[in-house]
Amino acid sequence: MNESLSKALEFANYRQTFAIQQKTIKEKIDAKLTIGHSGGVFKIDQSLLTFVEMLITAGRVVDVPLIDSNGNPVLIPNLENFKTEIFDRYFSVCYEYFQDYEKLKKSRSVEALLNI
Amino acid sequence: MTRGCLIFAHNNRDVDYAKLALLSGSLAKKNLGLPVSLITDESTISWMKESKIFSNVENTFDKLILVERPNTENKRILHDGTDKKIIPFINSTRADAYNLSPYDQTLLLDSDFLIFSDRLNQYWDVESSVKVSYAANDINSKDRLGYHDKYVSDTGIKLFWATTVMFNKDENSKLFFDLVDTVKTNYSYFADLYMFNPTQYRNDISFSIAQHIMSGFETDIITSLPPLLTTIDKDILESVDQNKLTFLIAAESNSYVAAAIKDTDIHIMNKQSILRNYNSLMELV
Repeated sequence: MNESLSKALEFANYRQTFAIQQKTIKEKIDAKLTIGHSGGVFKIDQSLLTFVEMLITAGRVVDVPLIDSNGNPVLIPNLENFKTEIFDRYFSVCYEYFQDYEKLKKSRSVEALLNI
Repeated sequence: MTRGCLIFAHNNRDVDYAKLALLSGSLAKKNLGLPVSLITDESTISWMKESKIFSNVENTFDKLILVERPNTENKRILHDGTDKKIIPFINSTRADAYNLSPYDQTLLLDSDFLIFSDRLNQYWDVESSVKVSYAANDINSKDRLGYHDKYVSDTGIKLFWATTVMFNKDENSKLFFDLVDTVKTNYSYFADLYMFNPTQYRNDISFSIAQHIMSGFETDIITSLPPLLTTIDKDILESVDQNKLTFLIAAESNSYVAAAIKDTDIHIMNKQSILRNYNSLMELV
C-alpha cells in the first residue's frame, strides 16, 4: 500500500469516528433538552422558547394549553415558571454542546476524539 | 404513589444474567434515584451465592421476587464481536411484570440496558398508562439496523422495543399485559395474522402487537419512551475508564471503528463484552 492511500484510509477512519462521536454528543444533548412538565413531555427548541416568550408578552400566563412532543394538549398552570425552567435548561445544555463541539473540531486524532 | 424499576434475571450456562441485572440495577438506582426490584428464580439465586455477589444483590435491590424458572425451547444466536454461538434464551416472563411489580409506577428494564443519566425520569408524569420505546437508534453514524429491527415483518406494523417499558398499575396497563400474554400464548396464530417468523419468541413483537391493538389498530406514533441508543452484538465494549465507555463499532468488511460515550443511557447487545468489563462498570456505581 502506498503512503498516500494509507494516509487516506487513516483519515477515513478518523472521519468515521468523528461522525459517531458527533452523533453520540447530539444524542446526549437531545436527551438533556427533553423535559417532562405537567403530564406532558417537551423538546426544548427555539420554536418552543419563542412561542412561550410570545405568549407571556401577550399576557397569557396562567393555565395555558400547549401541544407537547407527542401531540397531546397539556395545561401549564404557570407559564412564567415553565419559561424559567426551559430557558435555564436550554442555555446550560447548549453551552455544554458548544464546548463538546469545540473539542470535537479541534481533535485531530481518533485518540483525541475518544477523550471528549 | 410508589415508583421503581424492575429487572428480570434468569441465568443460563452462557450468559451471567445475575451479574448483568446487578450492574443494570445498580446503575438505574444510582442515576435515576429510584428503588429497583429483581425478578429471578431459585437456581439464579444459587448461582449468585456461589459467585459471591448475593450480598451485593441484597444490598442493591429493594425486593427480590422469586418466580418459577420458566421452561423454554427458545434459542438465539449470541454474537460477541465476530464470534457467535446458539444459546437458550429465557424471555417469556415479561408479560408477568404487571402482576409482579411492587410499584404503582414501574420502569421495566432489560439487563443489558445501562442507565447513565436521569433522562427517563422526565417520563413518569406523562399521561399514558403504558409507554414503550418506539425505536432503536444505532450508535454508528450509518444505520446498520435491519428492516426487522424496525418493523415486525416485511409488511407488518412498526416494531417497538420492550427494552424499556414504563407502566402504571391501572386497568389499561392490566389489559395491555394480559394482551402481551395472549400474544405469547398464541404466538403462531399472531405470526400468521401479523406475518412474522415465529421461530424465536420476541417480547418486542408481543409488545408491538399489544400496542397496535390497544391503539385501536392505529399505527400513528403514540405516547412512548425515547429511542434507545444501541450498540449491536457485533460491536465490542472495549474498555471503561472513569465515566467513559469505549466501543469498537463493527464497520464494513470486518473492520472496526472506535467510539466513546459519556453520561448517555445505552443498550449494549453484546452481553459478553459487558461482563468482561463488569468490575470497571461496577466502579461507576
